[in-house]
Amino acid sequence: MSIRRAVVTAAAPDQKSLPLQSLVDQRGEPKTALQLIADEAVGAGVEEICVIICPGEADNYEKAAGEHANRLTFIEQDNPRGYGDALFRARDFVGNDSFLHLVSDHVYISQRDEGCARQLVTLANEQTCAVSGVQATRENLLPYFGTIGGHRTGQRNDLYEVTKVLEKPTPTLAEQELNVAGLRASHYLCLSGMHVLTPTVMELLEQMILNLESGETIQLSPALNALAKRERYLAMEIKGRRYNIGVKYGLLKSQMALALSGKDRDEVLTEMLDLVAAQPESTSPIGNGR
Amino acid sequence: MDVNTGAVNSLIETIVSDNDATRNRSLDELCENSNLETLLLHADVLDSFWRGADNLYHRVRCLFFLAGIYRHHLPPLLINDAPGLIPFASYRQLLERRFVEAINLLLNKQATDGPSDGLSSALAHAYHQLAFQTLADQVRKSVRTVRGNQWMFRTGHPADHPLRLRKELLKQKPDNPLFPILSETTAVRMDFSHSGWSDIFFLGMDYPAGARVVNASINLGVTGRDERPQPPIECYLRVIDRPVLRLVSLDLKASADVTSIDEVFDFARDYLGLLKAAVIAAGIVPPGIEGCGQSIEALLERVIGQPGLGLEIVSKVNDIPKGSRLAVSTNLLGSLISMCMRATGQVSGLDGELNEAERRVIAARAILGEWIGGSGGGWQDSGGVWPGIKLIEGAAATETDPEHGVSRGRLLPQHKVFSLDEISAQARQKLQDSLILVHGGMAQNVGPILEMVTEKYLLRSPVEWEARQQAIEILDQIVAALNRGDIKAVGQLTHQNFFGPLQKIIPWCTNLFTDSLAKQCEQKYGDQFWGFWMLGGMAGGGMGFIFDPTVKKEAQTWLQTAMVETKRQMETRLPFAMDPVVYDFEINDRGSWGSFDHDNTMRMPASYYSMMVPQWLKQPSHELSVASRFELEQLGTDYRNHDSSDPFRTLIESILPGRKSVRSKTESLDELLARMGFDHELHHQIRTDLKSGRYGMAQNRLPLNTSITDVKPDDVVDARYGLSAEANDVGAAAIHAGKVGVVTLAAGVGSRWTQGAGVVKGLHPFCQLSGSYRSFIETHLAKSRKVASQFDTSIPHVITTGYMTHQPIVDHLQDVNNYGYPDADIALSPGRYVGLRMIPMVRDLQFAWEEMPQQKLDEQQEKMRESLRSALIGWAQGMEEGSDYRDNLPLQCLHPVGHWYEFPNLLRNGVLKKMLDDRPQLQYLMLHNIDTLGANIDPSLLGQHILSEKCLSFEVITRRLDDRGGGLARVNGSPRLLEGLAMPREQDEFGLSYYNSMTTWMDIDALLSVFGLSRADLANEQKVEQAIRELSQRMPTYITIKDVKKRWGNGQEDVYPVSQFEKLWSDMSALDDVSTGFIVVPIQRGQQLKEQAQLDGWLIDGSADYVDSLCEWT
Repeated sequence: MSIRRAVVTAAAPDQKSLPLQSLVDQRGEPKTALQLIADEAVGAGVEEICVIICPGEADNYEKAAGEHANRLTFIEQDNPRGYGDALFRARDFVGNDSFLHLVSDHVYISQRDEGCARQLVTLANEQTCAVSGVQATRENLLPYFGTIGGHRTGQRNDLYEVTKVLEKPTPTLAEQELNVAGLRASHYLCLSGMHVLTPTVMELLEQMILNLESGETIQLSPALNALAKRERYLAMEIKGRRYNIGVKYGLLKSQMALALSGKDRDEVLTEMLDLVAAQPESTSPIGNGR
Repeated sequence: MDVNTGAVNSLIETIVSDNDATRNRSLDELCENSNLETLLLHADVLDSFWRGADNLYHRVRCLFFLAGIYRHHLPPLLINDAPGLIPFASYRQLLERRFVEAINLLLNKQATDGPSDGLSSALAHAYHQLAFQTLADQVRKSVRTVRGNQWMFRTGHPADHPLRLRKELLKQKPDNPLFPILSETTAVRMDFSHSGWSDIFFLGMDYPAGARVVNASINLGVTGRDERPQPPIECYLRVIDRPVLRLVSLDLKASADVTSIDEVFDFARDYLGLLKAAVIAAGIVPPGIEGCGQSIEALLERVIGQPGLGLEIVSKVNDIPKGSRLAVSTNLLGSLISMCMRATGQVSGLDGELNEAERRVIAARAILGEWIGGSGGGWQDSGGVWPGIKLIEGAAATETDPEHGVSRGRLLPQHKVFSLDEISAQARQKLQDSLILVHGGMAQNVGPILEMVTEKYLLRSPVEWEARQQAIEILDQIVAALNRGDIKAVGQLTHQNFFGPLQKIIPWCTNLFTDSLAKQCEQKYGDQFWGFWMLGGMAGGGMGFIFDPTVKKEAQTWLQTAMVETKRQMETRLPFAMDPVVYDFEINDRGSWGSFDHDNTMRMPASYYSMMVPQWLKQPSHELSVASRFELEQLGTDYRNHDSSDPFRTLIESILPGRKSVRSKTESLDELLARMGFDHELHHQIRTDLKSGRYGMAQNRLPLNTSITDVKPDDVVDARYGLSAEANDVGAAAIHAGKVGVVTLAAGVGSRWTQGAGVVKGLHPFCQLSGSYRSFIETHLAKSRKVASQFDTSIPHVITTGYMTHQPIVDHLQDVNNYGYPDADIALSPGRYVGLRMIPMVRDLQFAWEEMPQQKLDEQQEKMRESLRSALIGWAQGMEEGSDYRDNLPLQCLHPVGHWYEFPNLLRNGVLKKMLDDRPQLQYLMLHNIDTLGANIDPSLLGQHILSEKCLSFEVITRRLDDRGGGLARVNGSPRLLEGLAMPREQDEFGLSYYNSMTTWMDIDALLSVFGLSRADLANEQKVEQAIRELSQRMPTYITIKDVKKRWGNGQEDVYPVSQFEKLWSDMSALDDVSTGFIVVPIQRGQQLKEQAQLDGWLIDGSADYVDSLCEWT
């Protein structure tokens, strides 16, 4: 299995500006979020990247892609029918090959020498099957993520055979169907927006889109759930962290994470301490001990 | 320990065996003919066993065996031994629910002092309670560990809340500030058979194969009122533009804007406990968050995802009264939970039916909600959430269940919904064409019955166990008959079930009212009456009658009239909460059903506006939310278009209430007081003393330095082993000579007996003796009849009455022709004193709740009680402490003034004078309480009294754990009866060997002389009045707190504590100039029946047979 292509989804109308945001990477260089995502993909050996965008955004994105612009293909998602539909628009781009899929509103910081996407692609090459990156997440964050159920496999403590995938499950459902042995209580494996997918996913999405009623939308999770029934599908706890720039303070948090794991760590830390020291004693708006 | 090892092992073997035949051996069989030593060895081995047992059911069954040995098997071997004192420390431990510590103390005492009847009673109670506590703990643990429920106990802060409201609920239309409404309609459940109460959680977990129920989800309508049956439960939820949790119960006419999380857990604060429990069990305010101190606003912002918004949850039960036996409250809870789970995405669809997995989670959550709300039900109760007719069965615990290795069965049962192939549409229609569903009007507490069943099954009591197997077979036959569509057979089977196994297991599941209705149906319709059908836990409330469809319509009309007439005849004798009602019903094939108002055009039900609009109108319009103002405008527009419709009339009536009721009630109370000869002056003086603190609960007590010790052997005459031949001869001669009469005290309504329902206890047909229902009064008369015929004489029998009981007793005795007792020998002594209840002083409430030892309740119930008490203190302060209590039916505002006044009544109302005029030979009276069923004119006891030449001889009994409220003591060196109210310290009572049975032998002339009167003076009213007043001033006045029920709505009841005063008969023993004797009598003679829950034990331990043997029935 050789992964040469990546698909990045950036077509959600309320999030279309997120990949254009500027950050400073670990080397201290200013980059857009789109560049960081493209860096991640290229670092994993990807040669061509397809970005699914809102109609009319191609120019902005091209500018924001910097040195990766020549690798990028843009596909506009007109008549959008959800995240699953956005991914499906890249069907011709990926053809019959497996591909790397990343979401555009996340920043990934690896705790290893190789990047997060590289970890995933390496595993997919070894195992020759679809693999999703997951992160053990407390149940209070379930409303934000697709979540998998499964069990450990391959005599590794970071690798799971996926049996079920549910989109933003309630804790009630998660407790009944997505318990994974070996995790701490109240923790579940949530998708981290990074996958190596086989062409089967496109087949499944196609069927699902055909069955959609007018006005209905389709997420990726149902297709991944069907994938788990159809073929071997693994999940890996990536050695790294993902940061969602689309949530409140998400961009700030991502920037701090980048800075604190990069070459300017000491400088940024000093600046932050200065800021903290200059503030009056803070009072927590959300109560005791928090 | 070598002795009887075989027998000891047989008990343990029975508990642990996997072999059904061995395991199902009964305790009775295993202990039959055992002597004292063997039984104590059994108890010893069992006690060691339960302490080491890991398996829940081994432990619980062992505890029930121990309770059974101490309750039923040891007492007959100990009953005549020396009294054994129960250590006060063990009593305190029992109150605190520290049962193991209490058992340890009691066993130590038994080891040092030897076994006794008193210690046995305490040990039986402690083991019994510990067994139920262990079972309840397991149910709770299982509820918490059900997958899908666990997260709710981990969520401890709004910031961690993992639920989000579905976005659809936030979609508004332009120019409309209202959010769309999500609604849920749910059926109630009607059970064909519960295989002998097998749906009790513990029983399903003990014997899953025997836990089987067939029930149907049904819609209801009141015959003649509703056009067609509807799902009786409706709930509504919407987002509102205020950051509060608004809870509205349309049936209970209660609403609240909850602003803090802690308030959600305050269940007794208002009538919204069930809605609160639903919000908690649905996870919107998860149980783990209790006590976090945060606002609801913070939580709602997290869940709704926007600041400034709130949730409104509305419940509506379409006029089904309490006691319907259709599990209304559990299904309402299920409905609310289902709706809240839809709103938060825990149930997949906003519209339509639920899937099986969702129903199971909802059922588990409903159990959780019942636990949180401090109530409890059976596992079939949420059956209305499922559609159609289904078989619900217990399931063995497998490795994936939390119960595995702990109990044999799982907490949650499995449901199998019958398809139309299994029970055809025709069969369902035929059932609807034959069954008449009614509410008989009685609302009774089924709790004691459920405890009795659990104990009997776990002891494998042979009669009950065999009956249980029959009930299980009947269930299969009912299913087969439904498969065949043979509704006549269904009727015969439910009838057979009720009059056969169910009554064999629990005789108390029926009553005179129900039996009478079934008999009337048989008489009127013969073969066309196919059978009676008990619903739920007991008969009297919701019930079914199956008729040939050709007569059903006519029978329906007839039954309505027959039920009302029968109720009229019995309403003073049995606890009715309302008039009987006949329902139309149909089977609900959808189960709980959600409807979401996608177009945002739906309104709340009309009753919502009738309740809320008056509240909105009271607020200045600028304080109203935009949405409420908009709703008012909408209503205004609608009114202009359809002003004559019913909802608007109701709305207008709710805004402009009528005024007739308040006025008429006050007047009639005053009229009543005037008619009863109420002494305003005395009342005023007592009220002033109460307010000033001269009288009060604390002031009832004797000074702390009073010496209270147990009596010495010489202070009593022990009659338990028989008395002398001389006493017997003297007594027999006196009886024969017509020198003795009986006074039965029946003035009170026995508030503990029917928990304040205002039923005349003396007339309550409490039990079947010699094949018929017998009331207390009939039983007492039957005893006098027997003595009279044995001694060839006549016994004058006086029944004292009070303002509540006089007319009902007069009417009833007339109806039954005095139960055949000779007219000349029976007299009623109407009360001549009455008190007016008062709002209690807060200090007295605090004294009663804090200073007096209280039974600590189970954790959740304790929370409920605390919150209720703080609400009641608020009520007392709001109503003005120490003021007259007038806010109830007039009769409920009055109170009897204590049994000391009963003898003065006899003087004042002329009854004693007439008796003495008619029979000058009359010299002695035996006075006894209505509930002392074993008391009769015993020649030896009478002879003993005569020979002692005392004025009064009180009968006392050795004390058991439940015998609280005073006893025989040496007070500062003199023996006398001391009321519990007067005990300086609580523990003093536990040093007293004997308890007062209240049965008193009196010498009429001697007693008259205490009053300063002679027989001749009885004609002199003024002298009598003066004598009574003078003596009454020497008697202590006690202030007591009594619970009084206030009924409202549809069988709803509130209980309020009120203050009243009383003077007590036993204080006569404290007067220096009254010579008093004390006779120890056997427990069977002296025990009193205070609560209906005692009846079962009373039947089992032979007391009922003993009483029956004293009677001669007509």
